[in-house]
Amino acid sequence: MRLWGMIRFTIGETLRKGTLLFYFGVGTFILIIFASGIGQSPEDSNVVTLFGNPVSKQSIQDHNVVEFILVMLHRQSVSAIMLFGIFGIAGLIPSMLEKGKIDLFLSKPLTRGELLMARSIGAVSGISINLIYFFLGIWLIFGLRIGVWHWGFLSSVIYVIIAFFCYYSVVAIVGLITRSTGFSILLAFLFSIISWGLEKREQGLYVIWDNSIYHRLLDGLYYLTPQLSAMLENSTRIVGEMPLMQQSVEFTIIPFVYSLLATSLLYFLAVLYFSRQDY
Amino acid sequence: MDILQTCELTKHYQYGVFKRKNIIALEKVSLSIKQGEIFGLLGPNGAGKTTFVKLILSITLPTSGSAKILNYSLGERALREQCGYLPENHRYPGFLTALDTLIFFGRLNGLSGSELKNKSISLLELVGLKDWVKVKTKKFSKGMLQRLGLAQALINDPKLLFLDEPTDGVDPIGRKEIRDILVDLKSRGTSIFLNSHLLSEVEMICDRVAILNKGKIVQTGTIAELTSQKLVYEIQVSSVFPDTLRMKLQATNFSFEIQGTKLIATCKEKSELNSLIDLIRAEGIGIEGMVQQKTSLEDYFIQLVKGKSAS
Repeated sequence: MRLWGMIRFTIGETLRKGTLLFYFGVGTFILIIFASGIGQSPEDSNVVTLFGNPVSKQSIQDHNVVEFILVMLHRQSVSAIMLFGIFGIAGLIPSMLEKGKIDLFLSKPLTRGELLMARSIGAVSGISINLIYFFLGIWLIFGLRIGVWHWGFLSSVIYVIIAFFCYYSVVAIVGLITRSTGFSILLAFLFSIISWGLEKREQGLYVIWDNSIYHRLLDGLYYLTPQLSAMLENSTRIVGEMPLMQQSVEFTIIPFVYSLLATSLLYFLAVLYFSRQDY
Repeated sequence: MDILQTCELTKHYQYGVFKRKNIIALEKVSLSIKQGEIFGLLGPNGAGKTTFVKLILSITLPTSGSAKILNYSLGERALREQCGYLPENHRYPGFLTALDTLIFFGRLNGLSGSELKNKSISLLELVGLKDWVKVKTKKFSKGMLQRLGLAQALINDPKLLFLDEPTDGVDPIGRKEIRDILVDLKSRGTSIFLNSHLLSEVEMICDRVAILNKGKIVQTGTIAELTSQKLVYEIQVSSVFPDTLRMKLQATNFSFEIQGTKLIATCKEKSELNSLIDLIRAEGIGIEGMVQQKTSLEDYFIQLVKGKSAS
């Protein structure tokens, strides 16, 4: 009940934030666009139309049209949510630590670990509600308008939420240490670039630092931090093949498993730090 | 029975780049609070009053020392289940109504359902916020937030209540109401620990007080003990003081002042009072009344704190 109380409160706080309401509005706008724009050709029900114009297979290099649209939509929306979602909830940990608030929270019968976890889960839940709303909406539009019930697209939201939860652990630990929303956002973005660099290290960083010690260090860093880039790519693979890829790559759950382990380590360190602080 | 007992509780804050600089917030503070009493902790700004409460509630971690509170050690979750706390400068989420705020803090205390809702409403009535139940707290004045804070601190029926400046920003009528609530809680067995700058208020409701200065306890005692230590007596006699008595008084060690038929004498020890009375009676003068002058808690506090600072 105590944990649920804190989670519920945090969800309420995120949903009342103007930024998340704005994202909700943007999501609704995109849904309306798709609902009004997508359809089937009256001549051939196998031809998908966008605002009345048929989308030909040739124009998208022989990809499945629906899959192509959903993959592109998935990639763009997930990137946007990672970017802007952090803006919306990065301040929740620093705001919890504000003088006058933290005294009240810590005086209640909750451990500091529970408090941090409840706050983080609540924050991610706020974004998740937005994500589920958007993904469910798109899934319903495609199902009802053109008869394609793409379960891969709908189920990919679970992996996106896991990726966001892992990403948020970086924001949480930075927010806990610096008590600054600005720093949390800055380092979260920096981390997303680092994560991408680590994911592509064999083609990039290995070449720059051509030394086995550096390679091991980069590998260590890759496995000890959430593999954001790999998780997002894999969440898209559930939807369909990536356009313009030379060879098809199958979805794998491994980055999610490693990332959840790395996230557990980050939260363990965060709780350890939090438990030793004076407020 | 002691409900709270601290043993040489110490808190040093380290700061600076390498945390080499040290601030002593509390130094070996040993205190005890009895069940059902209102205990006041007084001290100038920065004396360590808030730090003491934060240590008890594990908001801040001690450098050394120990404490036993309601038979629990510092840091135990079960201890916080039985304590209520109204911090100084508390901040409530402005998007919640007064009722939602209490329900939220009630949930953090493990309460739920209609029982929590009813309790929240009755507490809001108790603190005088009956008409503000559904108003968002961002619209509340400082005094109203203090009342809400008190209700929040009482949501779990605490056995031990910590209040840090509870009447700060509250109007005189509100202060009286809060005092009445505290006295009522005391009569129902709740122990109350009060941090306050308002010495007159502390004097009115506290059973015992401790004075903290620069992190150290400099005095502990009941209000009566702290305020009657001035051995100044006002003796009202039946007639004017004859010159012979004046001369006899001047020959003694008393410092005195005569105002008509009233003698104000300062004794060094209580036993000297009897000699003084004997002297007056030996002149055949009747004593009509005698009052021991009391130092107010404020006088005593200022004297003590300034004295310590000077020394």
